[in-house]
Amino acid sequence: MQVTEEFVLEGKLGSADLSPWLLRHAGKLGLAIALRVQTDERLEMTLSGAPDLLDAMEMGCLLGPYDIWVDSVARIRSGCRNGG
Amino acid sequence: MSVGAMKDQWYPVGLISGVTEEGRDSLLLGEPIRIFLDGGTPAVTGEGERPLPVELRYGHVWTCPGTPTRPLFDIPEADQLGRRLVDVGVCRVRCSPLRAVENFLDIAHFPFVHTDILGSEPHTEVTRYEVGIREDVDEVWATKVQFFQPQAAKSAEGGITTDYMYRVCAPTCSVLYKTSPPMPGEWDVIALFVQPLTETLCDVWPWMALYDDDASMTDLIHFQQLIFVQDRSVLENQLPALLPLDPGMEIPTRADLTSVAYRRWLKRNGFTYGAQLVAA
Repeated sequence: MQVTEEFVLEGKLGSADLSPWLLRHAGKLGLAIALRVQTDERLEMTLSGAPDLLDAMEMGCLLGPYDIWVDSVARIRSGCRNGG
Repeated sequence: MSVGAMKDQWYPVGLISGVTEEGRDSLLLGEPIRIFLDGGTPAVTGEGERPLPVELRYGHVWTCPGTPTRPLFDIPEADQLGRRLVDVGVCRVRCSPLRAVENFLDIAHFPFVHTDILGSEPHTEVTRYEVGIREDVDEVWATKVQFFQPQAAKSAEGGITTDYMYRVCAPTCSVLYKTSPPMPGEWDVIALFVQPLTETLCDVWPWMALYDDDASMTDLIHFQQLIFVQDRSVLENQLPALLPLDPGMEIPTRADLTSVAYRRWLKRNGFTYGAQLVAA
């Protein structure tokens, strides 16, 4: 099963390292990622892939690069597709 | 690496029962210390024979190389009647002290490292549990953890689903609460007190407070030593040697929730001695 979810990160996110880190970590997990909104306190992105790997992405985001701090990760499922 | 905020924390440096008049030399956060009896009471000095604060608790001598920011954490079970308090001894491990604690928090490795003792295949699933930081005490707590174990304790006969709680009460100390086989409704307490000698070398001092009237003290100690020796070979071969606070090459999963919470807590408090800050 492949699902698509909106991830909303909140915290102290004002680092140039964050976007490339997210793209790299999603790539390691084989997830499709689209960054949508980023401010110093909030980042929104769309991720697609297997549910367990989206869970792993959430775990990764909670740690992130050392110079950011994630207070919370909210997830909203926006699509679901069986197979493939 | 700067010692930073970790300098002001409490650390175990030996068994109370093992301190002698002659004393012995050791290390704490890379600095030399000496543990000895002064007028019959355990004392600890740092570089230049500077006296360090001392607490005697849970069978161990505790010290702080800086200025303690809070009292030594409390384990109320240590004072409960009927428990046997077990000083397991010391195990030296060539790994980051933070890695030793993180491994202790990792339930998922039981079937693979402690096969047929703390876990067995095919019972490898870690069901969902709750993890959070208790702000009032600034500790990491994992609760509602359940895992099937073929022999959960020396006193267990046959496999049982064991309930667990994990607690990180200091950067290098963790306490595990688990179902007490002979006393349903009570928790056995197994603590891992880690003395950070350097960033990549530590002395591990396990300690237990158990309900078990049958097993000999030697058997209880041997059981826990067996478990830790199995862990040691894994710990000494982990790469990177330091505990990464940026996941980097590691891919934490939901089963690693406690480890993730521990790393976040270390990062938030600036407890980075033994940690790798940037992914390799």
